Amino acid sequence: MVTAVQLLVNGLALGAAYALVALGFVLVLNATSAVNFAQGDLVMAGGLLAVALAPLLPSAVPVPGLLLLPLVLVLMAGLGLLLALVAYLPLRRRPPVSVFISTIAIGIILQNGAAVLFGPEPRVGPPLLGDGVVRVGGVAVPEQSLAIMVVAALLIGAQHLVFSRTQLGRRLRATAQDPEMARACGVPVTRMILLTFAIGAACAGAAGLLLANRYFMTPTAGGDLILKAYIAVTVGGWGSVPGAVLGALLIALFEVGVSWLLSQPVAQGALYGVLLVILVLRPQGLFGEAVRRRA
Amino acid sequence: MRRGVVSLVVGLMTVAGAARADGLSFPVLVPLTGFLSLEGTSQRNGALLALKEAPAGLVGAAETIDTGTSPEAAVTALERAAGGGPVGAVAASMLGTQMLAMLPLAAELKVPLVTVSGTAAITEQNNPWVFRFFPGDAVTKTAHARYVVEELKKSRPAVIYQTTAYGQSGKTHLDSAFRALNVTPVFQEGVDPTAKDLLPVLTRALATNPDVLVLHLHAGPTALLLKQAATSGLSIPVVAGSAMHQPSTAALLEPAELKGVCAETAASPVSGGNPAVETFTASYRAAFGKEPDAFALGQYDGMMMVLAAVKAGAKTAEDVRKALSVGRHDGLAMRYASDGKGNMAHSAVIVCYDGSNRVPTLVKRYDNVTGVVK
Amino acid sequence: MALALAAGGLLAYALLWASPYGLRVLTVAGVYALASFGFQIIFGLGGALSLAQGAFFGLGAYVTGILGSRYGFDASVTFPLSLLAPLLVALPVGLAVLRLDSHYFALATLGVAQVLHLLVVNLPDLTGGANGVPGVPPFALFGWSAPRGLPTTALVWGMVAVGGLIGWRVARGRLGRSLALVRDDPMAAACLGLDVGRLRLTAFVLSALYAGAAGALAVHTQRVVSPEVLEFPVMVTILTIAVVGGRGRMVGALLGALLLIHLPEWFRGLERSYLIVYGAALLLVILLAPMGLTGLWARLFPPPGRPLPDPVEPPARPARNGERLRAEGVTKDFGGVRALDGVSLRLEAGVIVGLIGPNGSGKTTLINALSGLERVDSGRLWIDGRTMTNARPDRIARAGLARSFQAAILPDDATALEAVAAARLPLDRRVEWAEAHARWALERLGVGALADRLCHGLPAALRRRVELARALARRPSVLLLDEPAAGLTDAEKAELAALLRALAADGMALLVVEHDMEFLLPLADRVLCLDRGRRLYDGAPDGVRRDAGVIAAYLGGVGA
Repeated sequence: MVTAVQLLVNGLALGAAYALVALGFVLVLNATSAVNFAQGDLVMAGGLLAVALAPLLPSAVPVPGLLLLPLVLVLMAGLGLLLALVAYLPLRRRPPVSVFISTIAIGIILQNGAAVLFGPEPRVGPPLLGDGVVRVGGVAVPEQSLAIMVVAALLIGAQHLVFSRTQLGRRLRATAQDPEMARACGVPVTRMILLTFAIGAACAGAAGLLLANRYFMTPTAGGDLILKAYIAVTVGGWGSVPGAVLGALLIALFEVGVSWLLSQPVAQGALYGVLLVILVLRPQGLFGEAVRRRA
Repeated sequence: MRRGVVSLVVGLMTVAGAARADGLSFPVLVPLTGFLSLEGTSQRNGALLALKEAPAGLVGAAETIDTGTSPEAAVTALERAAGGGPVGAVAASMLGTQMLAMLPLAAELKVPLVTVSGTAAITEQNNPWVFRFFPGDAVTKTAHARYVVEELKKSRPAVIYQTTAYGQSGKTHLDSAFRALNVTPVFQEGVDPTAKDLLPVLTRALATNPDVLVLHLHAGPTALLLKQAATSGLSIPVVAGSAMHQPSTAALLEPAELKGVCAETAASPVSGGNPAVETFTASYRAAFGKEPDAFALGQYDGMMMVLAAVKAGAKTAEDVRKALSVGRHDGLAMRYASDGKGNMAHSAVIVCYDGSNRVPTLVKRYDNVTGVVK
Repeated sequence: MALALAAGGLLAYALLWASPYGLRVLTVAGVYALASFGFQIIFGLGGALSLAQGAFFGLGAYVTGILGSRYGFDASVTFPLSLLAPLLVALPVGLAVLRLDSHYFALATLGVAQVLHLLVVNLPDLTGGANGVPGVPPFALFGWSAPRGLPTTALVWGMVAVGGLIGWRVARGRLGRSLALVRDDPMAAACLGLDVGRLRLTAFVLSALYAGAAGALAVHTQRVVSPEVLEFPVMVTILTIAVVGGRGRMVGALLGALLLIHLPEWFRGLERSYLIVYGAALLLVILLAPMGLTGLWARLFPPPGRPLPDPVEPPARPARNGERLRAEGVTKDFGGVRALDGVSLRLEAGVIVGLIGPNGSGKTTLINALSGLERVDSGRLWIDGRTMTNARPDRIARAGLARSFQAAILPDDATALEAVAAARLPLDRRVEWAEAHARWALERLGVGALADRLCHGLPAALRRRVELARALARRPSVLLLDEPAAGLTDAEKAELAALLRALAADGMALLVVEHDMEFLLPLADRVLCLDRGRRLYDGAPDGVRRDAGVIAAYLGGVGA
């Protein structure tokens, strides 16, 4: 029992970080109907950014990661804007697969740029609060795991509030649902798309910062993360924001659970096996698609 | 316009050849990108340091080419390097599959490959052109198992290995080493290097009631597992594979999390020991701004043996091959001599961390494990 | 011509200047070109983003690797088996996942690739595990073995030439044209009588064969097989080659492979930074030539127009009088809302039936049900006496039914002739015949002059005319038209009415959905009015204006 709870805590912490990755991916997907394949590498960039910025803080600072978070969010948003300007806007009238390739190119640049700047070794990021471990009745919960869950929940909640309660959010949603219609209604669509890329990259940056402490960060870490985000968004229903978050949590819990019950390589294979079964039996995703398409 | 097409197509493929040097050249073909870039970079640095310290005039330009992770890229790189003038020897990738791909071509081109790859199969191909300056898995895993059984007196090891070439080769040799010592591991399971949370496998291993944890994982996963073990309050000793000794692995952990952890390796340059190794470590730090590891040292020793042969009069790649296969070399890590198959290194050491800092102490030395060096 | 010169240049380079290293890079480029040919068929032409192409490549590689090194078989055994293994995997996988929509299909194929990779890594007894299998022999056939260097390069490029030629013929032939139609609009393709599922499966299997061949050659040149051949970068390289080269074009795959395999080699000297330059170069190529290198070429040097074929009248279906289509008691629910409630209908040769009703009364649903796009919950359907209840749209189309859509759905980048010829693809064995028949249909509708104009940018009236030609080209016995007069001027409507009368006079049975009563009532022989899925009126056009039920339905009961 204690073991199961312990694994649940670990799975939720990992899932919370995956959820941020998937969230940034699905927001950009909705606004542009383009797959941003650099999302995983943006996570890596955010993580290594946190690693690079950490030594700049005075060593006596009690909560280094939390202090760096706003800075990482802002810098990554800037990177997201740059990504949109370079790799999306010039191709927006082209087939979506062009953007797929252009973001692959950006991913290659980010990955190898990071390798040159930081070297290939895995790096450890600053903890959000501290390195301690809280023990509750036999369950050891690292402070960092708790912090990951809280920060991810807060960021996802904030994103939800902005999108559902504000004028800006309505415009962003209108852009995501139907850019042509939104433009006709006077929404500055291009600005909204740029903003979405910024938010998506900021989500990635936050995920990177959260992952880099407990799970380390290497320049090649992005490839695995983009696959997880892709699966999460598909399982959750293409284009559905809550579906993506739930899908990410499910994936993490599945991985941890099956790794424990059977073995990690089996869990890896089973994830794809279950995915195939879901796709064949329920092609609209577990929670239904956000957007129904023609016929 | 048509001429445009032709010149485009031809121009596409006309790649400037490597600069030709007067003496023999010593290309460095190692993985600088991809999942082995950390180890590959150590190889590169070790080789370049040796070449830099070589007497003037002995060495032509040494081109460094990234081999990435695919066998295809390694073979292409070798062909490219061979086209750039007479080659004395190649500092070749430590990725086993890349070595296996390069071997037939190296035999055709007649170039010695000097590597630190641990993959057993590379010296089992009856290929006289391969020289391994790092103890193969047969050596290191024997030392690994012997330390666990003979020194720690443990009989219920739980083995966690990586599902990569490095991990699977190590696991196979751990198996036979334990068998030779009449010990059967109570748990053996593979983990993919992309796995983030290692608590599940740790939980599974501990459920079999082992008395020691034997790891054979890459650098990042080793640190991940140790961090998880520290969080969970693991009470049994851990003896890790060679990735643990890399200074960048220790850098991921707090010294306290390292307390009591041991690891096998060929050498641990940062642990010091003798003045020559300390000089090496100092000049490595000065040249590359990093801490050296055993791969860097092994590659350095290997290239030094090659250079010694050239200094002693080797004029061609064939001369170098002969010198390597019959000679011996007192390197910084150990004394090297071929066993007839190209295995040059026959010693391994065990290092342990005491929890006060990230520099391990050498606790046990296993020399001449295979009985080759007299 | 330019192509022949480029090929000559390549040959001269390979024979005269290339170093062994240059030859090897050229060989690798050839291997990737071969794999990309197949990818062009499934992805470029068929529009299905298959991420299993890398997996089929790896499968072919492993079959040759294991059989060649362990059992010493030569290429006469290993090469065919390297084609067979991907084929055997592609068939069941294709049947299971090809009906999925784009991104789901992409992920499903990626899943298959990942499972294959995991199997290879974790079954070391069979595959050598992560270390792979060394000692794969070079390509050998009946005692002759291809030495390294020029012979191997020539062998690979010989295969590339054969594969490219086959691919080129496929792309230009019926299969390629049909696939392009499926890619642009699967629904419209089905309504033109194309079996979308079988076409996609054919393309998928073909792509797997190409990948298997490429994988086998890759292993012969690199002499070991290891899990890297199954990893995602191989797939990404193939995808990038296809997009950078030009989607759907075999020449594109060739140029893309040459460029992308050589690109990193030029920057190798930069050590670790070379991939940054590679990424930047890739970005630059996709920004400058978003339609690929072949697209850029076509923009810089537009190809000369092809001469138009002479019009040839396609064979008509055997003329028959009387009933052509009958529907009885058709009922369709959408999640509790009854869109059609026991509607019955008869269409006869030479008779034009008008279908009217307020918005949401079920008119389009009825047309969709008759053409097979919606499955009905109950009711039956016959065409020419054959039962077609809930048959697939392509079967119904082949039985003699044609339809138009509310919004004309012509492919933008095809000429009017190509768009109409597409409708003949299921009927004519050769593309040339299809085009000759298409020309006849265009002439018949008075738009023969538009034959070489692109559909994109045609004014609405002409687009409708081209679409009508598309339906007509198939010589259907039943024609369903969804609001054909929308957006036309009075003069254009009069012309359209005359045309439809002429078609009816030829013996066609017509069903015309229309809001415009001034257009429809004089045209129709009979009028059917639907309201909330029920038949409200069925009779002479004159009576409809006086029918109390119809008036009530249109005016919502007020002032009836």
